[in-house]
Amino acid sequence: MARRDALERVNNLLLALLQTNRPLTLEQLTKEVDGYEGNHEARRTAFIRDKALLEKEGAKVEMVSVPGNAQYGYRINPDTFYLPALDLDPREQAALNLAIAGVHLGEPTGREALLKLGIWGDPLPKAAQVVSRVDLVGGEGTLALEQLYEAVRTRATATFNYRSESRRVNVAAIRFARGHWYVVGYDLDRQDGRTFRVDRIEGTPTLSGAGSASLPDGFDAEAIFRIDPWQFGTADEVDVRIAVDRAELGRVLAELGDDALTERLPDGSGIIHMVVNDLEALVSWVVDLLDHAEILEPQEVRQTMITRLERMAGRGAGATS
Amino acid sequence: MSKVVSTAGRLRRLLAILVWINQDGYASIDETAERFDMSPDELVKELELAACCGVPPYSPDELLEIIVSDDGVAVRPNTALARPRRLSPGEGFALAASIRALLEVPGSDADGSLSSALAKLEGVMGSADLAVAIDEPEFLPMIKETIASNEALRITYYSAASDRESERTIVPRRLHLSEGHWRLDAWCMEKNDLRQFRVDRISAAEKIAQSGTEDLPRDLGPHEAYVPGPDSTTVRISAPKRLRWMLENVPLAGPMEEDGDRLVVTVHVGGVAWLERLLLRLGPDCVVLEPSECQGVASEAARRILQRYR
Repeated sequence: MARRDALERVNNLLLALLQTNRPLTLEQLTKEVDGYEGNHEARRTAFIRDKALLEKEGAKVEMVSVPGNAQYGYRINPDTFYLPALDLDPREQAALNLAIAGVHLGEPTGREALLKLGIWGDPLPKAAQVVSRVDLVGGEGTLALEQLYEAVRTRATATFNYRSESRRVNVAAIRFARGHWYVVGYDLDRQDGRTFRVDRIEGTPTLSGAGSASLPDGFDAEAIFRIDPWQFGTADEVDVRIAVDRAELGRVLAELGDDALTERLPDGSGIIHMVVNDLEALVSWVVDLLDHAEILEPQEVRQTMITRLERMAGRGAGATS
Repeated sequence: MSKVVSTAGRLRRLLAILVWINQDGYASIDETAERFDMSPDELVKELELAACCGVPPYSPDELLEIIVSDDGVAVRPNTALARPRRLSPGEGFALAASIRALLEVPGSDADGSLSSALAKLEGVMGSADLAVAIDEPEFLPMIKETIASNEALRITYYSAASDRESERTIVPRRLHLSEGHWRLDAWCMEKNDLRQFRVDRISAAEKIAQSGTEDLPRDLGPHEAYVPGPDSTTVRISAPKRLRWMLENVPLAGPMEEDGDRLVVTVHVGGVAWLERLLLRLGPDCVVLEPSECQGVASEAARRILQRYR
């Protein structure tokens, strides 16, 4: 006899679990559902494998106690399996296809979502040709992002490692800015609002206490949201003055905002100020401007820069280290 | 034709097919097969298998209401497994983030369909505070106009690769946002070739009359984050492992290799100023392995910058 197709058995199991009014025991499932064959052990093994497959595909198989010898029964609550009707009109469907085609997130793509909604692959309108592509790739942080988004949506507490320390955070908001994803929330151990760069989170956050993660009264995610790398440190804040020449001043102000400018000089250059608590990050940012910028004050920050440059200057052609 | 081998993959595909057909209740075999990248025979086989599935005792009225005919397939409204499934956290995030991002691009939701689709999705899935900030450099609107009209621009452009400003005539073709910056693929008339420009590094731009723009190719092929030019050099750099996070933000020409407690990466370098920036950011513990003529780049740049501090 030809081997039964595993997909047929999985379909039948899914239908049985979805459409039953009462939990079905392992005995009932493997005897009555079409496709399970062999002795008790073979049927049980096949069922466990199929159940794992369904769960991996997003079906929540509930295990509930039932009277009798079997003790446990299984079912899938249709409300946890099916999405309530969305009633997207054709223009909305096209708009979603355009969003998924135009925005690149790395894995997972939104394609799987559109497939589930039954609207993937509709021909894109002509306008799609001129709509620009937006790249929001989260890099190492993509898996963490999914969990953090789920934490905001379900009001759960997220636990993760960040700069080698464990953090428990009631997550309030997710932001993308200047090429990176950030998460803003209330740090339960530090009892304060914090911004975290998602690609610096080590591993995947775990969630707990869905529905109970609360934020203090007046918590303002926007006010806490910080994206400047030189403000992610733990040192005391220092006000730093930097001279930037004409070639780079426009781009620097576009990045920092016009408030950063304290003085504009006749030759088109300017003096900016920055509030910094991570010197290493500041130095990295300033060297990126090459000789278009110079740290003026305070003296110890200027000296940090000089020391770093001297270490680098001492190497290479004609120098011994 | 793609081959889906796993049972999970086939289940996912079958459910997607059923949900899609359920929209209108009927679809042609050929169109469905093409849409889901299958042969018609393969599709019919999967659908016939599904039509035999149901719940015990598997009498005809307990089977899925799927009717496969010679050239089409009909699904009764709201047949089990033909209704949309809930989205996984990753899928929900991908949809929400994509919509939010596109809504930030001016002109991308002219008729409001994207906003109303988002409202419907959030009504069902619940909403989350998620925002995408996309920068709007000064000349972005003008560039969009010229892409649509096939016009040329005279621009003043700062090249980070050479650390120099220059004037060029370009014919803009395509925009994309990557690593937080808008990038423009355009024909550079001086080079008579395709070049990529960062829009925020254009300090002046004006439309000019330029003949022959309609003869320039429009189809640019797939998006690439960085296209190495013909003059680019391949440089190998060794860095301590603690700088992995910095290297992850650099477009690499190949996989990151481990060498004891160090990492070795290969990058395409289009100009010496770009390499100077990279090496200075990475700091004194990084070493250029090859080519040898690039081994003095960081120290020379450091000496030049130190002049400002003397």
